Order: sequence, then structure tokens, then C-alpha cells
Amino acid sequence: MVRRVLALTSGRIAAAVLTVIALLALFGPWLAPLDPLATGDNTLAAASGTHWLGTDYLGRDVLSRLLDGSRVSVLGSLEVALTALVAGALPGILSVHWGRVFEWTTLRLADTLVALPFLLFAVAVVALLGNGLTQAMLVTGVLVSPLFYRVARAATLAVARSQYVEAAVVSGASTGWIVRRHVWGKILPPIAVALAQTIGVGFVIVSSLTFLGIGVQPPAPTWGGLLASDLGYLSHRPWAPVAPALLITATVWASNLLADAIRDVSGEAGRVLLDDRGARDGRPDRTDPAPAPAPAGGAR
Amino acid sequence: MTGGPARTADDAGPAGPVLEVSGLDVHYGPRHRRRPALRGVCLSVAPGETVGLIGETGSGKSTLARTVLGLVRASAGSVVVGGEDVTRHGPRQWRALRRRGVVQYVFQDPLRSLDPDLTVEDSLTEPLLLQGVPREEAAERARAFLPRVRLHEELLARLPGELSGGQRQRVAVARALVTGPRLVILDEPVSALDAATRVQILEILKELRASGTALVFISHDLGSVAGVSDRVAVLHQGELVETGTTHDVVNHPRHPYTRLLIGSAPTLYSAPADRAEREALRALLRT
Repeated sequence: MVRRVLALTSGRIAAAVLTVIALLALFGPWLAPLDPLATGDNTLAAASGTHWLGTDYLGRDVLSRLLDGSRVSVLGSLEVALTALVAGALPGILSVHWGRVFEWTTLRLADTLVALPFLLFAVAVVALLGNGLTQAMLVTGVLVSPLFYRVARAATLAVARSQYVEAAVVSGASTGWIVRRHVWGKILPPIAVALAQTIGVGFVIVSSLTFLGIGVQPPAPTWGGLLASDLGYLSHRPWAPVAPALLITATVWASNLLADAIRDVSGEAGRVLLDDRGARDGRPDRTDPAPAPAPAGGAR
Repeated sequence: MTGGPARTADDAGPAGPVLEVSGLDVHYGPRHRRRPALRGVCLSVAPGETVGLIGETGSGKSTLARTVLGLVRASAGSVVVGGEDVTRHGPRQWRALRRRGVVQYVFQDPLRSLDPDLTVEDSLTEPLLLQGVPREEAAERARAFLPRVRLHEELLARLPGELSGGQRQRVAVARALVTGPRLVILDEPVSALDAATRVQILEILKELRASGTALVFISHDLGSVAGVSDRVAVLHQGELVETGTTHDVVNHPRHPYTRLLIGSAPTLYSAPADRAEREALRALLRT
């Protein structure tokens, strides 16, 4: 799958952008040229040699805050997406295979989560578990999980009732085998698209909760938090939101691009696409063996 | 058996029938609106025997096959597969039985019964891997089995969508037989194929008969069944109305429905008298 995705230009671009974002998340806090929390008199300053991206309303260096906040922003967003994936996709797949009681229970649970008021529930759970980024993101992930539940369930339903799954059952396949071998590859594209969407939504959620004092505590910086504070001073520094907005947009765009690439190369359609591209470029496809000649004894 | 596991006297199972169905009832639908699909069906298949199961659409042929395979639950009666009473088996017991490779199934539509994302090799090795055969050995056995169904080794890397209808059906037959099952149920294996490919598949099935595998050949077409079957069983509205040797059933049909089936077989020279006879038989069945 990785080789197939990287065979596409869009897949390579998405991987490159996401690698840069991941490096920022890993090393950003150490790369910050100045203390991201240090305030100064030079507020709302334009870009200069000392402050490459200017300063915010408290005189803090914007570049340092962006770099320092990248880890929390990316990790928070990933935590939301992965929690939603595990809490939603797994029961969604199993609801098709594990009998009616499990199916009914998970369906009603998903309905309940959809009906819960998002921010109120997040505040209530954080009050119960204690305030922290992990708690806030776990709660958010659980609340987003019905999206993954629905997507995974709908995709699995289409596959689980197919004859090739029945053929595997007749050969003695267990639920785990069927999911691994026949279901997962087919439901991965829609789940990847939902995951990319959720990563994007995650940035917005992190900033929304920061605004309410949940999760990341001020003055710790996040990309969403920077964007929110910059929007309050648009008349003084109209270009200020560009940097955090660009980072968020690039991450969401690359995630969507990667999801589209996964969808494009998945399954038989993906193989045909890569074969066609290989043929058009006049080179053999890198991911598949050479096409076989017509069988000697096989009547077509 | 070329490529497949050679069956010895020890693992040939008990000398009795490989399939024994007694008084089988199957119902569909919720309790207050149950409708019968099979009523009191009794059928026995001996090792190495080929039984043709014929009947029109909706007569219960596929339901009988799916009940024998544990995909549909019996309402009453008993099903004994390979000497083991499977009527009250739970999912775990069924899985254990299936992994022993006693019974296999060939679906009507090979395109839908083969995973479109798995290569021919992956599809053929799957039943072997489920039996615990190491991957390399499974691949080797799958490769060695291909000549038996007249497929070339180079097709192993292809996807089902890259094969012709006949090739796909042969892959489906190979997948069912690669584990060396004692009983194979074939659900209309040639109905979707052209005449030339149909003959080829039927020839392969005849060769398989000689290897000692018992076959239940389901079809609505008596012509396809008669050529390969030792015995024929006729299903009509969920009931087994006639069973006998292929010769007897084809040449001396007793039940009006069997006579109607034989009389309805398409011929190049269909006389008006045939039509009148068929109408008379239909009227008899309605009473």
C-alpha cells in the first residue's frame, strides 16, 4: 500500500508535507529562536530580523510560539483522530460480525453520542477526570467516533454479505481473519478520508477548547490558539493569521491528499489506475509483476 | 491427487455416507410469518458418488446446500457430514469442521465468489492457510493443483477481474478442491458459462469424480447434471419428489414434475404436442 501511494504524485506530495509537519511536531520546541512565553513591550510588531513573524498582542515572538505549539497541536489533533478511529471504526466493523445484541447496543450508543451537546459533555467529563490535553482529546475523540462507526459499518456491510466472505467462512475463516483479509482493505479508503477530515477538525477543536480553558492552558501556545488571538487584532496586523492558518491548512490539505491517494490506489481500481499510468509512461508498473501471456490451455 | 493431499485409507473417514440428510425442515422469516423452504428432505451421498440436485428456481436447492454447509439453520431433522452430526453445531464447532476441509462449496457466480482484491494465488492458498499449512507449502500446493483444472501457472498473479468467466469458474473449483475435501457442493457451476466453457468444466468435474471426491451438483438444467451424475434428486417446492439413478430418472420419470422438467428441456425440434403435454403436467402439479 505504501509503495502504491508513493507511486502517485499526490501521494508523494502529501507524504512530504506531512513529514515536514511531523518534524515540526518533534523538534519545533527546540527550534524556537526565543522563549515563546516571554512577553515584551514591542507588541503587535511587524516582521523583523529579531522577530521573523512579528510579535503578538503581549509582545511574544510569533515564530517561537508557532514552533513551540506545533507539538501540542499535532499531537492533540492526532489524539482526537486516533481515539475516534479506535472507538468508532472497530465497533463499526465488529457490529456486522458479532451478532444482533452487539449491533443493537453499539448503534444506540452511537446515536446517543451524536445527540450529546459537544462542548457541554466535554466540560462535564474534564470536570470529572481533571483538566488536561489528554483527557480533553480523549473525550473529543469519543464524541467524534460515531462518524467512524457509521463509515466503517456501512463499508463493512457491503463486504460482509459478499460471496467471497461466505466462501472464506465455508473454508473455516474466523471473524478476525475475514476482517484482516477481506474487509480491512476495502473499508480503508473511506476510513482514511474520515481520518483526514477528523485531523482537520481536531485543530479547530483544540483551539475551541483552549478558548474555554479546557485542555491546553494559556499561555501555552497552539496553532489554533494563535489563530484565534490573531483574529482579535486584524485591524492592527491584518497579515498575522496567515502563518498559523497556513500551517493548519497545509496539514489538513496534505491529510486529505493522502486520504485521496489511499482511496485511488486501493483495490482493483487502484491497480488498474497504476497499470494505466505505467502503460502511458511507457514503463512497467513498479508495484505489480509483468502481465502474464495468455494461458496455453485456457479457453477464454 | 495431483497437488492436493493424497487421501489414504486412514483419513478417508468412515465407510458410511459422506452426507446424510434426514427429515430436514428449513423455514425462513420471523416466527409469526414463517414460510417453509425445505420439508422433510432425505438425501444420502456415498463417498466418491456424484448426486445431481435439480429443480426450478426457488425449489430449495441452494437452501439445502447452505444448510449442509451450516450457513442456514435447520428447523427440524438432522444433517450428518463426514460421519459427524452437525445439526446442532455452534459457530466454533462449525469452524473446526470446516478447517478439517471435509466439505467445500463452489458458488454459482465465480466473479462474486472471488475477492476482487486478491490474486488467484491468494484465493487458492486461503483454504490451505486456514488449515494451518505454512505459506510456502500452500503456495506450492496451489501451483501444483492448477493443471488439474487446466489453468496456467502464470495466472496466479492475476486478479479475478483479469480472467475470463471460464477461468474464474475453474479458479473457484480449484479453491474448493485444493484442500482435498470429501464432499464438494457445486451450486449451478456452469449456468453462467457459454457452451464451450461449460463442457470444459463438466469434463473437469468428471475427472474429479474419479479421484474419489463426492459431489453434489446443483442445477436447474437436467442436461448439465445428467452427464456427470450417478444419481439425480428432484426438488419441487421444498420437497424431494424423486430420487434415483440418472438413467432411471431421465428415461423413466415417475413424478409429474420430473416429467415436466424433462419435457421442458430445450431441443432443436420442439413439437406442438410437447407443449400440450407440458401444459397437462403443469395442470396436474397445480392440483
